[in-house]
Amino acid sequence: MFAIASMNGLVIGVIYALTALGVSLVVGIMNVVNFAHGEFYILAGYFSFLFANALGMPIIAAMGLAVALVFVFGLLVEYTLIRPTYGDDMYSLILTFILSIVLQNAYLFIFGPYPNKPPGWIKGATNIFDLFFYGNQRMAALVAGIAVIVVVFAMIKLTWFGRIIRAASQDRGMAELNGVNTTRLNMLSFGLGCALAAAAGVILAPVFPVTPTAGVPVALTAFVVVVLGGMGSMWGCIIGGLILGLVENLGAAYLSTGYKHVFGFVILIMVLAIRPSGLFGRKEA
Amino acid sequence: MTISLGESRLKSTPKILLCLAGLAVFALLPWTMGVYNQHVLIVCLFYTMMAASWNLLAGYTGQVSFGHAAFAGIGAYVSGILVVKAGLNPWGGVVIGTLCAAAFGFLVGLLCLRMGGIYLSLTTLGFSEILHIVINNEYEITRGTMGLQVPGLIENYSKIAYFYIFLAGALITLAVVYRLVHSNAGLNFRAVQNDERAASALGVDVVRTRLLAFTVSSALAGMAGALYGHYMLLITPHLPSLDQQFLVLSMTVIGGLGSFVGPVIGAFSLEILSEYIRAWGEYHVLVFGLVALFVARFAPKGIVGIYKAWRGKYRAATA
Amino acid sequence: MELIKGVGITKHFGGVKALSGVDFKVEQGTIVGLIGPNGAGKTTLFNIVAGAFPPTSGTVHFEGVDITGLPAYKICRRGVARTFQVTRPFGEMSCVENVAVGVVNHQPDASRAVWTQRAVECLRIVGLEGFESTEARHLNVVQKKKLEIARALATGPKLLMLDEVLGGLNSQEIQDAITFIRNLRDQLGLTILWIEHVMGAIMQATEKVIVLDQGRILMNGSPEEVVNDSRVIHAYLGD
Repeated sequence: MFAIASMNGLVIGVIYALTALGVSLVVGIMNVVNFAHGEFYILAGYFSFLFANALGMPIIAAMGLAVALVFVFGLLVEYTLIRPTYGDDMYSLILTFILSIVLQNAYLFIFGPYPNKPPGWIKGATNIFDLFFYGNQRMAALVAGIAVIVVVFAMIKLTWFGRIIRAASQDRGMAELNGVNTTRLNMLSFGLGCALAAAAGVILAPVFPVTPTAGVPVALTAFVVVVLGGMGSMWGCIIGGLILGLVENLGAAYLSTGYKHVFGFVILIMVLAIRPSGLFGRKEA
Repeated sequence: MTISLGESRLKSTPKILLCLAGLAVFALLPWTMGVYNQHVLIVCLFYTMMAASWNLLAGYTGQVSFGHAAFAGIGAYVSGILVVKAGLNPWGGVVIGTLCAAAFGFLVGLLCLRMGGIYLSLTTLGFSEILHIVINNEYEITRGTMGLQVPGLIENYSKIAYFYIFLAGALITLAVVYRLVHSNAGLNFRAVQNDERAASALGVDVVRTRLLAFTVSSALAGMAGALYGHYMLLITPHLPSLDQQFLVLSMTVIGGLGSFVGPVIGAFSLEILSEYIRAWGEYHVLVFGLVALFVARFAPKGIVGIYKAWRGKYRAATA
Repeated sequence: MELIKGVGITKHFGGVKALSGVDFKVEQGTIVGLIGPNGAGKTTLFNIVAGAFPPTSGTVHFEGVDITGLPAYKICRRGVARTFQVTRPFGEMSCVENVAVGVVNHQPDASRAVWTQRAVECLRIVGLEGFESTEARHLNVVQKKKLEIARALATGPKLLMLDEVLGGLNSQEIQDAITFIRNLRDQLGLTILWIEHVMGAIMQATEKVIVLDQGRILMNGSPEEVVNDSRVIHAYLGD
C-alpha cells in the first residue's frame, strides 16, 4: 500500500507542481493570484475531450490544440479583465474569483454536471519492481508532467524571455527602467500561467475526468503549494508539489480518505505559523 | 468653515428623519404582503447582513475574504449543533455561534494577516474548503448534505416575527459597521486600504487593524448565519459554500464596494432579481456572474459609484 | 545630547550592498542634511531608521533606546516621523482625514472634535488651509508634499525626517520652505534629518551635513566644510 500511495503521490505531485508553476509565475511577475486557475485547467480538459471524442482528432493533436486555445483565452482574459487592475491587487482577486464562478457555471451549462474523460493514451499496466501493477496511463502522465516542467525550466533559465521573466519578478521597476515592455510581459506571462494549468489539465484529464467544479481542489492545492514553496519560487513549486502529492496520498491511505484534501491545508496552516515566507521564499518583500 | 468627514456621515436632522421614516415604512411592509414575499424580504435582510459585514472588510480595509460564507456556516452549525445535541436555547446558540465565528476569524486572521492581502484570500478560500470537507465527513453530527434540522427561534413560527428578528439583525450589523467606520479605528481602516506603508509610517498598526476588521466582519457573518439556520430550520452545506460566497461578493460589488448603502442596495436588488429569474434554474448564477464581472471591470464602485458620478455631472451641469 | 544614533548600519538587497557600515548621529535640536549622489543609499538609510525594513546588521538607537528592527508604527509612536520622497497620500480620504490618521495613533482616545481640530491646525501650519475637505488625490505635487509634512507633524514627532521636500519649487518658494523648516525646529522644537538635492537649501538651513556615497559615509561636517571638500566634489561631479 505504501508503494502504491507513494507512486500516486508522485504522479499527482508532479501535476500539482505544474499547476503551481503557473500560479507562481503570475504571482512573481504580476503580483496577481489567479483564482480562476483551476477553471483554466478544467477548460483544457474539456477541450481535449471535445476535440478527441466529438471531432475525432488524434489525442496528441487534441491536447496541443487545447493548450494553445487556453493560452489564447488567458491572453484575452489578461487583456480584458486583469490589465485595468494593475496597482489594485484587490480588484484582480475579486475579478478572477468571479471569473472562476462564471466559468464553473458556464461549464455546467455547456457540458452538464457529469464527468467527461478524453481517451487515454495507452492501455494496460506495468509491473513495477514486482511490487504492484501500475496503470500505464498514469505512468505516461508522470513522464509528460516531468517533460513539461523540464521544458518550462529550460525556457526560464535559458531563453531571452526567461531572463526577462526572472528580472521582472526580482524587481519590476528596474526591469521597466531597462526598457522591458511590462504590459506585453504581463500578458504573455498570464497566458503562459494559464497554459501551464492547461498542460496539467490535458495530462490529468484521462486519469481524473473533468467536471465543472473539479478545478477547485486542484487550484486550492496549487495555492497551498505556492505558499509552501514560497511565493514566486520555481523550485519551491516542484518541492512543494511533490510534498503535497505525497502527503495527501499517504494521508488518504493511512489516515482517512475523506480528509484527503484537508492534509494540504494542515500544511498550509503549519507553514503560515512557522515559516510564512515558505521553504524558498524571500523573507522581505 | 464646514468640513465634511466621511462620505456618508449623517449630518443633518432632515436626513435622519427621512431615514427613520423610510425605515418605518419598510418595517410595516410585511403586513401588506403574502407569505412568499415576506420570505423574500427576510432573505434580503440576511444578505444585507452578509454583504454589509463583508464590505466592512473588503470595502473599508481592502482585504478580500473568500471565507465569509464559511463563517456564516460556522455560526449556523455551531448554534444548530449545540441546540440539537446539547439542548441549548436557540438564542443562546446564536450568541455562541457568533462568538465562535469571531474566534475562528481571529485565529485565521492571526495566522495569515501579517503576510498581506493575498494570503488572507488564499487562506480563507482554503478554510472554506476545509469546512466543507469536515461538514460532509462528520455526517453523524452535521447530517452532511442531508442537512441538519434545527428548531426555530420562536415557539410559534411566523414570518412576520422572523422579519422583525432579521430587521433587528440587519440594523445591528449596519450600526456596528457604521460606528466602526466612523470611529478612530475607521480612519485606520481606510488608511490601510489606501496605502499600508504610509499608514504604518503614521503609527498605524496595520496587522492589528486588519485583524480587528476581519474578526468583527467574521463575527457578523456568524450571527447572520446562525439566525438564518434557525429561520430555515435546516442547515445544509450550501450555506458555507463558494456559491454563497460569490453571491455575497457580487451583491457588495454590484451595490458599491466601500460605500455604506451599497451592500444594502446590492443585497435587495440581487435577491429580488434572483427570485424573478429562479425559473432559469441554476443558470441564474451564470447571469449574476457575468453582471458582476461587468460591473467590477467597468464600474468598480457599483451602483452607488454610478449614481455619484451621475450626480456629480448633474451638479456640474446645473451649477 | 544625541537624539538618534546609528552604528554600523549595513543593508544588502539580494547581492547588492545598499549600505555598508554606516555610523551617524543627530544631536537634539539640530537640522542635519543628508546628501549624496543618486543611489548613495540615503532613502535606504531613512527606511531603516523609520522601520520600513530592518538592517542586515548594525543598530539604531533613539533617545538611547535600541529601536533596531522595530516595526514602522512602533518607531513612529516613539516619536520618529518621516515623509516619503514619492508622496504616498491616502488618495480617497480628505486632507483632514489624512492628517487625522497621524493624530489618532498618537492620541488614541482623541474624540472626533479633538482630532479634527488638531488636523486642521497641522494643515494650517503647512499652508494647506482651504483644502481640509479636498480628497488628497486632487492635490498637486507640491501640495501633496505639504500634506506629507502635515501628517508627519500630526504624529507628535521629536525627530522629523524629510525626504526631498523641495522638488518642484521655484527659488522664492524654496526660500519660504527653508524659513518654514527652520521654524519647525525653532518654534516646535523638532530635530530634523533632511535628505535634499537642492544644495543651496542645505547650505542655508542646516548646521551639519552627512554625505553618503555608494553606501558609505564619505564625510560629515558643517555645510561649509562639506561643499569645499574635494572628495564631495569628486563624488558629485565624477572625474
